[in-house]
Amino acid sequence: MTLRSTLITAWVAALMWALVACGGSSNQSPAAAPVVDVTIAKGQVTPTNATLQAKVHQQITFRISSDASDELHVHSTPDHKFQVAAAPNQTFQFSVDVPGNVEVELHDLDRTIATIQVQP
Amino acid sequence: MVLAHGLGGSGDLPVPYAYAMVGAAWALTFTFALVAFAWRRPRFDPQKPGHALPTAVTTLIDAGATRSTAAAVALVFAVWVVLAGVWGPQSESNALLGVFYVLLWVGLVPLSLAFGPVWRVLSPTCTVYLLLRRITPGRLGRPRLSCPEGWGDRPAALGLFAFVWMELAGPNSASLPCVKAWLLIYAALMLGGAWLCGQRWLARADPFGVYSIAVSRLSPFRRNPASGKVVIGNPLDHLPSLPVRPGVVVTLAVLLGSTAFDSYSSSPTWRNFADRTSRVAHGMPTTLSSSILRTIGLLVFVSVVALTFSLAARATGGVDHAERRALPGQMAHSLIPIVVGYIFAHYLSYLVERGQQALIALADPFGRGWNPLGLAHMHVAYVLSAHPPVLAGIKVACVVTGHIMAVIAAHDKALRLLPAGHQLTGQLTMMLVMVSYTFTGLYLLFGG
Repeated sequence: MTLRSTLITAWVAALMWALVACGGSSNQSPAAAPVVDVTIAKGQVTPTNATLQAKVHQQITFRISSDASDELHVHSTPDHKFQVAAAPNQTFQFSVDVPGNVEVELHDLDRTIATIQVQP
Repeated sequence: MVLAHGLGGSGDLPVPYAYAMVGAAWALTFTFALVAFAWRRPRFDPQKPGHALPTAVTTLIDAGATRSTAAAVALVFAVWVVLAGVWGPQSESNALLGVFYVLLWVGLVPLSLAFGPVWRVLSPTCTVYLLLRRITPGRLGRPRLSCPEGWGDRPAALGLFAFVWMELAGPNSASLPCVKAWLLIYAALMLGGAWLCGQRWLARADPFGVYSIAVSRLSPFRRNPASGKVVIGNPLDHLPSLPVRPGVVVTLAVLLGSTAFDSYSSSPTWRNFADRTSRVAHGMPTTLSSSILRTIGLLVFVSVVALTFSLAARATGGVDHAERRALPGQMAHSLIPIVVGYIFAHYLSYLVERGQQALIALADPFGRGWNPLGLAHMHVAYVLSAHPPVLAGIKVACVVTGHIMAVIAAHDKALRLLPAGHQLTGQLTMMLVMVSYTFTGLYLLFGG
């Protein structure tokens, strides 16, 4: 092998090693199933654009108090749609089967409530 | 914000911090090692002969039968997709959306990398044009105007921008009527232009053709410039053969800027900003105001890439005004690896997983329970999403590999273009700009 190809091989190996080596360092797992309290009043939502952590197959709960009817979309695999009525303390539960960044949005208000990082 | 990419479903998890840091460290180290220690004489040349493949390969690729078969298959596929779009279920599950946003936009990249500029063979509009010309009298098929060569790649850049605008900034990217209207306008512009200026218009102005040609310069397969035979060789020898036409930098900037904006526009920072702005602009419908805002964001991202790249290419001493003006175009090929690396990093899981979804949807285009080859009952295998560390590793590797190839190409071209005495200093700005692209890309993958 020439010096050049040795160097290239060494570089590729080092890069791969570095990537594999840091593979195990990202385990901040949430223990409790996430529960999100959402308030919709006068066309405003709280919270918006929140970031949550969850695990695959974990029960995720949204408790919504609203003064208007809307539709809650969960962009996950499989996806979920819930009808939100103009009523206090409605509870919606779902779980996600495939890891990924799952967005939960209110369809009519066109607002993202939260992005859930679903880890395997 | 109705549906990401008009497709729904979940997105990729952010790349872990450590991965992004390791990638950034490698990119930085390599860049400055290259500037400090690398070769001082240009070594990559598209005129190199390459390793010849058996003659049968060239004969097979150039055979009229092969080309017409490929064109016919692509045309049948396109007709199938359009029929699905028109008579299929008018919902988000329609196969047209997946084919348009995933198989066409992302699938063209690996296809062009593997087989060269395939779009000129596969393009359904080109096939339709050639068929029309065959059945009309020769007098009608003759071009009326000469192709406006001075426009260069600009019409294609505009077409690519129209695509990414539709996907990332349009009022509703998931709307089937909008996608169908887009395709109709595209077909009308391509066929109308070809009717006026001949087939040359399709080679110059078809956005997907120019996209495919740009990506294909990174392919290991190319043609021997002397004999025209298909050879295999170093992609870095192939890269500088990118045709330099006006607008080539803008074309690549649209590709890179839009991918970056796609990452950025799903970050909480951008969303909070967009929500606040739409609250200020009350009275205007939310879809309209957010579409305008995203259009501005997209334009800013594309302009920043185009401007920084052009300025960096020009920032050297020892050249006169005309030479300086030509530099951004002559360096443009070195942006291709960054573009391709970042497109792969960003859309690989889309291609693999949404691509399967689109194919499954195509098996039953009209929602009538068709099930050819048992395809309609298959389930998407989430091979990448199910293993986030693997996906994150692939993403960082794509970005860093793209970056390294880009700086090598830029260094080599700088040696060829810049006068002695300015070769080292003249490429420093370009290296810094490329490092900043890669850092931004990694930062956006990490979650913004």
